[in-house]
Order: sequence, then C-alpha cells, then structure tokens
Amino acid sequence: MKEVLQVVDLKKAYQKVEVLKGVTFNINERETKVIIGPSGGGKSTLLYCINMLVKPDSGSIILDGVDITRERKIYKARQKIGFVFQHFNLFMHLTAIDNVRIGPIRVKSMSRSDATETASEALKIVGISENLWSHYPAQLSGGQQQRVAIARAIAMSPRVILFDEPTSALDVELIGEVLNAMRNLTIKGVTMLVVTHEIDFALDMAEEILFLENGIILEKGPPKEILTNPKSERLKRFLSKLSKDRKEL
Amino acid sequence: MEVYFVIFQKFGKLLFLGVYFTVFITLCAVIVGLVLGFTLSVMRLYGSKPLKFISTTYIEFVRGTPIIVQLFIIYYGLSSTGLVRFTPMQAAIIGMGLNSAAYQAEYFRTAFLAIPTGQTEAALSLGMTRFKVIFFVLLPQIFRVVIPSWTNELIALTQYSSLAMILTIMELTSVAKYIGSKTFFYTQSFAIAGLIYLLFSFFLTRLMMLFEKRLAIPGISAAKVRM
Repeated sequence: MKEVLQVVDLKKAYQKVEVLKGVTFNINERETKVIIGPSGGGKSTLLYCINMLVKPDSGSIILDGVDITRERKIYKARQKIGFVFQHFNLFMHLTAIDNVRIGPIRVKSMSRSDATETASEALKIVGISENLWSHYPAQLSGGQQQRVAIARAIAMSPRVILFDEPTSALDVELIGEVLNAMRNLTIKGVTMLVVTHEIDFALDMAEEILFLENGIILEKGPPKEILTNPKSERLKRFLSKLSKDRKEL
Repeated sequence: MEVYFVIFQKFGKLLFLGVYFTVFITLCAVIVGLVLGFTLSVMRLYGSKPLKFISTTYIEFVRGTPIIVQLFIIYYGLSSTGLVRFTPMQAAIIGMGLNSAAYQAEYFRTAFLAIPTGQTEAALSLGMTRFKVIFFVLLPQIFRVVIPSWTNELIALTQYSSLAMILTIMELTSVAKYIGSKTFFYTQSFAIAGLIYLLFSFFLTRLMMLFEKRLAIPGISAAKVRM
C-alpha cells in the first residue's frame, strides 16, 4: 500500500510548554486513522501542524515523498491536505454551493461549470439536498454546515483529509448525519486522519487508533485491541472516563 | 425670507459652484482615502515588520496632527521647497485623501478583526495564497461590516472639505463667507450653507443605509435581534 503521509518526530512548543514531544506515524492510501486522547494532549496542534497552519519546531511532514516543512510555497502543499474544523469555519458571505466551489475556482483555476459539477458531486456525497445549496451558512443547522465543510474539503480532491473533532460542537441529534457523511468517505476510499471521541466510528471505520497523550503517541493499534485491551494505565483511565461520560448522556 | 430669495437670485450660480467643489473634493478625497486606507490596514495586519512599522507610524502621525496643519504643509510647505507645486485643488484632495486614509485604515482594520479567524484558516487550508484569502474571502465580508463606520467617515469628510477654504478654494463654506462679506447677511448665508451640508449628509446616509440593506447577508455584521 502506498504511503500518503508520514509524520516524523514532530515537535512543537508554545512558549515553554511542549505540546508535541516527538510524534511519529504514517497513513497509507485509503486508510482511516483515528486519534483519541484527553484535551490538552496536543491533538489539535498535531493536525494544525500537519498542514502547517501552525509551524512545527522540528520534525518532518512528508506528503507523497516530499517534506512539506521545507516547502517555501506551502499553499501548494495545502491544496492536497483537506481540513475539517471543529467549528465548521464556512465562509459566511457565500452560499453552500459557493463555499464548495470557491476552492476549485480560485485555487485550482477550474472553470465555473466544471467547479459546479465537482461541487454538486461533493454535496451529494455528504447528503446536502439541492434545495439547500443556495442557503447561506447562517441559514443551515450545525450538522448541515459541517457537511458542507466536508464537501468543501473533498471538492479539492485532496490526498488526505484531516478532521479536528468534527462533531464535538454539534447537538447530539446532529452528530449522526456528520458521521454518516464521513463513513461514506471511508467507503469511497478517501484517506482520513480523524481526531474524534466517537468510539463507534473509530471501531467501525478506523484501521488504527492512535492514543495521543501529553504530546506523545502512548499507544497505537487496531481499534478492537486499543478499545478492549488497553495496555497503559493512562489509556484505561481515559477509556473508562469516556464511557462514563457517554452513559451520562 | 426676502433675504434668502435675494441671496439665491444674486448668488445662486456661485452657491452651485460651491456645492460642486465641495462634492468634488469630498468624493476624490474619500476615494484616495479608501484605496490607501485599505492598503494601510492590510500592511498593518498582514505585512512584514517594516511594512507594519510604516503603516502604524503613518496612521499615528496623521491622526495626531490637525488636518489644517497637514493642508498647510502640503500646499505652502512643499511649494516653498520648490520640489513640487500643487494647485489648491490638488493640495486639498491630496491632503484630505491622505488624512482620511489614516482613519479609514483603522475602520478597515476593525472590520478585518471582526471576521472570525477560522475563516482565514479554512481559506488557507484550501491552498489559497494570502492575497487570495484577503481578496476572495475577507474583502467581501469586510465591506459589509465597514459600511456603518465608513458612512461616518464619508460624512465627516464632507464637513472637513470646508477647510479647503484656507487654500482659497471656493467651496460651499468659502462661498457663504463671500456672500456674507458682500451683503452683510452673514447669518443667512451661513444658514444656507449649513442646510445644504445637512441635506447632503442626509442623502449620503440614506444611500449608505440602502447599500447596507442591499448587501446584507444573514450571519454577517450586527444582525438585528429584538431585545
């Protein structure tokens, strides 16, 4: 299987606080990997470093064999890395379809009609029906907004899509529709790196779960193994807290 | 009432000329200020250190000195060096444009800061260059956010254009003063000028409100919420 992304010994500190203390892993084509871990453990920072929205202090991010931390024109590499944010971050002045079209048109210099085709396809994959395409973000529910954001990412046909807790800002009843859209992507063979605490999604869809704690990957392995047979005390505690929280819901 | 009638009859043409100059100076200055002000705000927010320094210093200097001093320097000061010599009209437009730019820069900066940073991150994550992020994502939103404060500047500039009289330009206030000196009806002639300024501001305010309404997009700028 072809390697899409390799993260090698990635380090990042804010002032004196080390957030990432040397993170190493890779993702192969068509794989879905899930990152779990307590808040403050560096999950978001890791994703932001991968597409260089946050500059890592050291280490490499190798995308299709090219170390993008050394790239001067970083925006070129970013075209190949999709990003889905916790708070959707849709462009407020654009309708749903324009949010999806703007990437292909402005970045890939696609013609408007080609971009429309690409965008419609992407919106269909995430299950946004045609009557919503001309709605502005403020007129959409959180779940719809996040699905438009996912469509915006896939319309660029990136090599890998990073998801930063895509459902944690959503009401419980809206989480399902977003997870279903993501399941569709996994089935379609989109390469994904997902930070999430949706254990069921990880169990069904992920090839591997990484447990990121205190800036390092403490444990990793197939979902079943990680979730049912955690080795470290930290992971055990984290999982039991997670299931307790879920029961309270 | 008769006095006003006489003034209009005798000096109607001159008043019209005054209005023309006032409008002309204001519009030219506001456009100079718009272009330069936007550039300054981008420099200050996204520029390299030297650009940031230049922009901040410029804004600080212009806002920290009276516009009348700036006009004197541009008209009399520069011509005394023999390097450039502006006509009064050029000096007025340049002076007021440069002055307005400093204020508009800050209005634009405020508008930039009002756009959630997440949208910039999202635009960058699509692979946009900084230039594209500013022009395709931020600018269309900034213009909507900036309209109310920008209207403020437009109206202020209309009144400030009266300072062009010190450069011997026959704009509205200057005309009023002239009529007063010829007829000794100072109060009446200035009242006429004042009323014209008021009408002008009123008209501009409505126009900008119309723009605001036309360009409104749900979710951008202060949405009306009943409280």
